[in-house]
Amino acid sequence: MNAPFFKFGLFGDDVSLIVAFVIGIGFGFFLERAGFGSARKLCAQFYLTDLAVFKVMFTAIITAMVGLFWLSWAGFVDLSLVYITPTYIVPQVVGGLILGVGFVVGGYCPGTSCVAAATGKLDAFVYLGGIIVGIFVFGELFPILSSFYESTPMGVVTIPQYFGISYGLVVFLVVLMAIGGFAGGAWVEKKFAPKVKES
Amino acid sequence: MSSTEKTLTLDDAAVHKRTHTAREAQPYWNPYVAGLGLGLVLLSSFVIMGRGLGASGAFSSLVAATVNTVAPSHAASNTFYAEYLGDGTKNPLKDWLVFEVLGAIAGGFISGLLAGRFKKTVEKGPRISVGTRFVFAFSGGIIMGFGAKLARGCTSGQALTGGALLGLGSWAFMLAVFAGAYAVAYFVRRQWT
Amino acid sequence: MKLSISNWTINQKLALVVGVLGFLAVFAGSPYKGFTSTVDSQELAAIVEKEVDHVSPEELAGWIISGKSDYRLVDLRKEAEFSEYHIPTAESIALPSINDGYLNRGEKIVLYSDGGIHSAQAWFLLKANGYKGVYILRGGLEEWKDKVLFPRLAENAPPAEVAAFEKAKLVSTFFGGSPQVGGAAASSTPAMALPKLEAPAGGPVKAGAAKKKKEGC
Repeated sequence: MNAPFFKFGLFGDDVSLIVAFVIGIGFGFFLERAGFGSARKLCAQFYLTDLAVFKVMFTAIITAMVGLFWLSWAGFVDLSLVYITPTYIVPQVVGGLILGVGFVVGGYCPGTSCVAAATGKLDAFVYLGGIIVGIFVFGELFPILSSFYESTPMGVVTIPQYFGISYGLVVFLVVLMAIGGFAGGAWVEKKFAPKVKES
Repeated sequence: MSSTEKTLTLDDAAVHKRTHTAREAQPYWNPYVAGLGLGLVLLSSFVIMGRGLGASGAFSSLVAATVNTVAPSHAASNTFYAEYLGDGTKNPLKDWLVFEVLGAIAGGFISGLLAGRFKKTVEKGPRISVGTRFVFAFSGGIIMGFGAKLARGCTSGQALTGGALLGLGSWAFMLAVFAGAYAVAYFVRRQWT
Repeated sequence: MKLSISNWTINQKLALVVGVLGFLAVFAGSPYKGFTSTVDSQELAAIVEKEVDHVSPEELAGWIISGKSDYRLVDLRKEAEFSEYHIPTAESIALPSINDGYLNRGEKIVLYSDGGIHSAQAWFLLKANGYKGVYILRGGLEEWKDKVLFPRLAENAPPAEVAAFEKAKLVSTFFGGSPQVGGAAASSTPAMALPKLEAPAGGPVKAGAAKKKKEGC
């Protein structure tokens, strides 16, 4: 079979934009269904009262990961054609830390802020404005930052490749970790459950 | 009014569903089912396009396009903007991520509307004002925008997509995001409580 | 714990399904090898005969000069040889690793080695693995040196050749070579020093093209 379809030339750039829109609808739809249009629900993750962020994110990750593994194994998808972001380990970790701070201070991440804005949350609009400013600041500072930004490149490297263990084994370990996390999560939520009074 | 909470016994180890007050029309979906749906959307993106989802890149294109309109020579000489502007033959907003984010806005709107969750409101706790919440939101956004560009992605692109593809940097990024968020959460808790 | 599956919650059932799929993955082998394609020997023989899979050194030189970037140039030699000299914009991929996932099946690939043997072998390995756009630099690095770096104009050459040589001189200078006029047509090239490369354009390949940013997030 010839998948990923776009990489085999089944349709061109213009149609891919329509595909992007449709996929985006699915993306935003499920984010909102999960309740991620609400900063309160998102941040509850970091106060350990509601671990929906962890549950949704890791369920999505293992679904896509396991699905892609088996579709590739069956020869339906050419895994080598799926784009993986190259690893630049230090800027990614530092950027991640900064991003985590921005997440919990602002209450959203870029994707969820779009969904929240789409459902009327004014603080999400303000947040989006902040993102644009943040990107602008980065762009303007880029001449100074670029050597750090480009530092520690490791190319396209996956966990199986880096640790020298089989792809299938990593898949299994991630699934185990996720399920373990879900089970543990229920315990954590119960322990930190707040007695919230709303006026 | 106090919110009602339903916590389940340890028998149902993996299940936890919150019921909210009457002001929400419908409860949120079971997070695992929502996650399954999200995962299938991501998988279909892999299969159809050979790439995953994203969000911050769309805003980068927007910023680059705006800078280009206002100050084209400055944009062209800056490597960061130039990357998003391409070679000038294509409108930078005609970008896959831009359309995907527009779709996400539409999808979020549809879901919210169907669930009765569309409402002009400001989410915040009882102890701070709207203005303070806006300050938090704006500064958080700035920090997030900066961090997302440094890390070459945000939670949708790097964590979700890169995570599913087992990218080394993506997993490191994911851990860093959680670490950074947990480290600072305590200091901004008055936003919600 | 409820043991009968019909009493399990939806979450427990989902967990079971994904757990089983994950467990089986351990024994499944590599997902990269799943993709197969048939080798049509008649089709390959026809391609070989028509020589549509060749790229001449002059053509390649023109592509590099004009900055054409819709293809990947692959140097199949050892790293030491690559570091000493390689055609600008080439990437170093050793022949045994050619199918290890550095190259995408949808890409246009131009292969070269010293002569033609290794590039022909790599060509076949790629074609057998489903790669469509695979080309060989005709004559390899030897012909590149001969035609592009050190083009030679014979003493009593006809005017057409003289005119063509003017262009060859420009190309040669671009790549740091030295055009020769007159002199014996015999192998005097061993004495010629190969141009030093300032910054190796395209170092050892770590897959993923940094050029195509548009797939990031």
